[in-house]
Amino acid sequence: MAKIKFVVNNQPYEVDVDPSARLLDVLRDELHLIGVKEGCGEGSCGACTVLVNGVSYSSCLTPIANIIGKEILTIDGFNKTEQYRIIADAFAELGGSQCGFCTPGMIMSTYALFLENPDPTEEEARLSLSGNLCRCTGYNSIIKAVLEAAKEGRKRGIKW
Amino acid sequence: MKRYFPNSTVKIDNEEKMAGKAIFTDDILCQDALYVVFVRSTISKGKILRIEVPALPDGYHYIDAKDIVKENVVSIIFSDWPVFADGVVNYYGETIGLIAGPDKQTVLDLVRKVVITYQEETPNFELKESVFHKHFAKGDIAKAKQEADFSYTETFRTSLQEHLYLETQAMLMWLDGDKVTVKASMQCPYYVKKAIVRTLGCDPDNVRVIQPAVGGAFGGKEHYPSLLSAQLATALVKIKKPLRFVFDRTEDIAFTTKRHPSQTTYTAYVKNNKITGIEAHVKLDGGAYIGCSGVVLARALIAVVDCYTIPSLEVNGDVYLTNTVPTAAFRGFGSPQTIFAFEMFINHLAKAAKADPLEFRFTHLAKKGDITAVSGNFHDEIIMPQLIEKAMEMSDYKRKIKEYNKPNSNKGIGMSWFLHGCGFTGSGESTIINAHVKLVKEADDTVHLYTSQVDFGQGNRTTLKKIVSDTLGYPEHLVFHESPDTDHTLNTGPTAASRTIIIVGYLCEKAAKHLKEQWVSGKRIEIIEPYVAPPYIHWDEETMQGDAYPGYAWGVNIIEVSYDPLTYQVHVDGVWSTYDVGHAIDERIVVGQSDGGIAQGIGYGMLECMDIKDGKFYQKTISDYTVPTSMDLPYMETVLIDNHFAYGASGAKGAGELTFVGVAPALCLAIEQAIKRKINKIPANPEYIMELVENGKD
Amino acid sequence: MVNKYLPKNLKEALQTLSEHDCYIMAGGTDLMVVKHRSSGLLPTFDKDVIYIMGLEELNFIKKVGENIVIGATTNYSDILKSPIVPQLLKDIVIEIASPSLRNMATLVGNIGNASPAGDALVGLYLYDTLIELTSVRGKRVMPISEFIYGVRRIRREKDELITSVIIPQQHFTNTKWKKVGSRKAETISKITFAGSCTIDQGIIKDIRLVFGSVGITVVRRPELEARYIGLTVEQLQSKTDEILLEYGKFILPISDQRSTKDYRFKVAMNIARDFLSHIE
Repeated sequence: MAKIKFVVNNQPYEVDVDPSARLLDVLRDELHLIGVKEGCGEGSCGACTVLVNGVSYSSCLTPIANIIGKEILTIDGFNKTEQYRIIADAFAELGGSQCGFCTPGMIMSTYALFLENPDPTEEEARLSLSGNLCRCTGYNSIIKAVLEAAKEGRKRGIKW
Repeated sequence: MKRYFPNSTVKIDNEEKMAGKAIFTDDILCQDALYVVFVRSTISKGKILRIEVPALPDGYHYIDAKDIVKENVVSIIFSDWPVFADGVVNYYGETIGLIAGPDKQTVLDLVRKVVITYQEETPNFELKESVFHKHFAKGDIAKAKQEADFSYTETFRTSLQEHLYLETQAMLMWLDGDKVTVKASMQCPYYVKKAIVRTLGCDPDNVRVIQPAVGGAFGGKEHYPSLLSAQLATALVKIKKPLRFVFDRTEDIAFTTKRHPSQTTYTAYVKNNKITGIEAHVKLDGGAYIGCSGVVLARALIAVVDCYTIPSLEVNGDVYLTNTVPTAAFRGFGSPQTIFAFEMFINHLAKAAKADPLEFRFTHLAKKGDITAVSGNFHDEIIMPQLIEKAMEMSDYKRKIKEYNKPNSNKGIGMSWFLHGCGFTGSGESTIINAHVKLVKEADDTVHLYTSQVDFGQGNRTTLKKIVSDTLGYPEHLVFHESPDTDHTLNTGPTAASRTIIIVGYLCEKAAKHLKEQWVSGKRIEIIEPYVAPPYIHWDEETMQGDAYPGYAWGVNIIEVSYDPLTYQVHVDGVWSTYDVGHAIDERIVVGQSDGGIAQGIGYGMLECMDIKDGKFYQKTISDYTVPTSMDLPYMETVLIDNHFAYGASGAKGAGELTFVGVAPALCLAIEQAIKRKINKIPANPEYIMELVENGKD
Repeated sequence: MVNKYLPKNLKEALQTLSEHDCYIMAGGTDLMVVKHRSSGLLPTFDKDVIYIMGLEELNFIKKVGENIVIGATTNYSDILKSPIVPQLLKDIVIEIASPSLRNMATLVGNIGNASPAGDALVGLYLYDTLIELTSVRGKRVMPISEFIYGVRRIRREKDELITSVIIPQQHFTNTKWKKVGSRKAETISKITFAGSCTIDQGIIKDIRLVFGSVGITVVRRPELEARYIGLTVEQLQSKTDEILLEYGKFILPISDQRSTKDYRFKVAMNIARDFLSHIE
């Protein structure tokens, strides 16, 4: 056990956990952030995607030791922002969410993409979301939503 | 923001799902719930001689067949699946018992220490002895055979498929006073209720099933949760503490039900370049128990010649048992197997007859008034020619099919035509389901719709509500569609068989019409709308003759591929689809079903491989079982053409399965053109393509 | 009782390794899968674990003389962004795993786990990469082809840490990378190939063929490559069948849940043939 300090959704935390505890479990079980989902436990589905210092991580494979002193953003915190609103509205308009289980991860990966590249091509959008599996939508509406959100973001002059 | 779907409604559960606030089963807080882990068979077939359970610490319990209260059987149509294996196991992974306790690590350790002594027997993995047989005929096959110019025979095989819903199987069960209460990732709350009532032999009023958010299902949560709920209920009444589990992904892949593998053989009799008769034999692998396999077989047989009218038929179907995980429902439920087989067959046959495949297929395409395969009638207008023309125009099919025929072309384009019967087969809606929709206008003039339809992504919480608000002409925000809860909703039947819109939607429309007639502001009005079969439905279950379904949805898929001769890999370059679903209640939702069905169909057709090795699934992890990623698919274009159905809400039929059943043949016909070889099985993965290209003839 | 060590710097890390036999956890993308028990539970380790991602001093990509040196805690995404990393290596890295895993996983971590299906290894073998190992006893360097000797088998002493990889800068006339997986992204390789050729006035000065996922380690045969040096491009290409026959003896794929040995072998040959035919 070790005292691990980190920031989640702008809130500082200090937890006393084993350094190999999965970030996913700490977020869901200790901090009750249920927006972060577990779809596979082996880093292959993207449902557990969170942002760590602005880049996407699969929280199911991240040992808590690796986020000491870092800033984590989950959907539970992101959903209060204007940036989320733009992405979510685009998803809603294009039909990017069906069963909803992959959606938080998709939205976090979309945000991570925009932080690096606010004007992606279709190919770049597909590459950035290639680690987020969806079994419902065939990605059609999701990719269109991503490009629509990017367009809307540019229109509004948003700083991602 | 631009409105891409101006007539579509915002889905009522959109915001909570996107924001991560939707409560799925694993998100439910239940502090004192015990964790459940299943004890499973480690052999494929044999007798259980002895079960040695380790000493259990206080608060830990072992439950198995000896704890069964009333019946050790799960209600899955044919009731041969035991809740807990009792003395005998029939597949690797079969549930023998369970251990429940407060600490998951301890429970897992205890399960590992359970020692089971078996007397192993030789398992069977071949389709050897039929346990369920169906037969029907049409016209005069003997005459067709006798007078034929020639006959043509081919066999086709389809494989297992894993649902890979993103949310794994999960369940939470507790006692509320005396009442067994369940929340689970499921498609059919009333099936779960029935399973619990049957195994406990209790009063149905003592069981309550409540629906949380469900992360995908596709048929994989239609029957399997019935087994899980019966197991947990047995434990619950003994232990009297809340119980819960969430399957790890590897457990879900290894032990839950899959799509029926199939083998279909056709012999066609051709005279004057027309098919005069078809003999067909469909074989399905039911896994270790029959369960719903009889109904899957029925649907496969009803679709045996797809959307074509063939004058004479001799059709046989069989279900075989093998010592593997039982197969069960999966989007399409038998028809993807035969639609793949027949679409490939008729194209191969056309080429053998040296006819143009398109013209050949057109000659046999069903028209209104035609007698169906099971001697019923296509009562309604069939707009397939319009669907076909539109799809060909969207995809530039005519130019491409000629272009890609050139000898040095590595591209291909394929088109499939298909139908899907919506609703339960024949009289099932009356005799088995007998749906009742409840619509209540409260005194405050809010309207509440109650159905047992589960929204696991298809948007029915929104579309059924929309039918009500549109029919009433009432503001959407004053109409509520509650999530199923068997204490409040009546049984409107399972969320399966593409019946939600065509059957339940129609009931919602009728109920709303009645409410409108009786509307009095300030007064509570309750409408119960029962299912009434359309007068023209006559079906004989025994002989499989008559009108199999109240209505049919129709579709066309066109898929374009590129082939890499170095690696034998295929890439999908374009997908165009047209559908007749009667009328789209919500276009965005139907297009979403199309997109998802296509992705899953491309998986079924070439990307998803699941094999049996030593009685177990060879592909064990989500990395082994490769479903499409965002980089494996192009944009998909879908166009819907209205064809009002008289017994549908606003003319609507069903769409959930239609959008899956035609994809694999469209894909394989495209691959055939690109590789210049015949395909006889799916998945048409690169390893199979290599065999065809390196060993086969042109 | 398993101990978990969180060293604050390299010196501390080396001290810990000199005293305890540890699993070395970098990004976690391998160890957290392999040791995963079940959702909500800690991964089960049967020996001590040391976490090195906090060692910022090992997070670097720099040019040292004629070499590109990449530190142990450098993740794949940073490798993709670096202007000095050769394009061939970037082409390999972009096809590894997924975007989020590339943010977490390290190149050195992939060397440490020495999987026969390790894509990055194929590129590193082609570049004659050297592995730098450091311990309290000092540093040593050895070629990657010597460092990895079997499935998950590396010549690391218990007290050593792989601190960096040293990639000699080279300029090739032609390079090729091909990964064949089950799908276009997030896939474990069925077979991989990296090839390079240096031509000067129509004469082969250097040629390298490297195959991955077809044996217990990456397959590269410098003794075969040596035979083709000095040939003209035409001469080389006329010997294609002979070359493939020679390589075929060392390409020993297996059949598993992802593919068959026949497929892997045939495709390896197809890709190698294609590489040779496009040299100019």
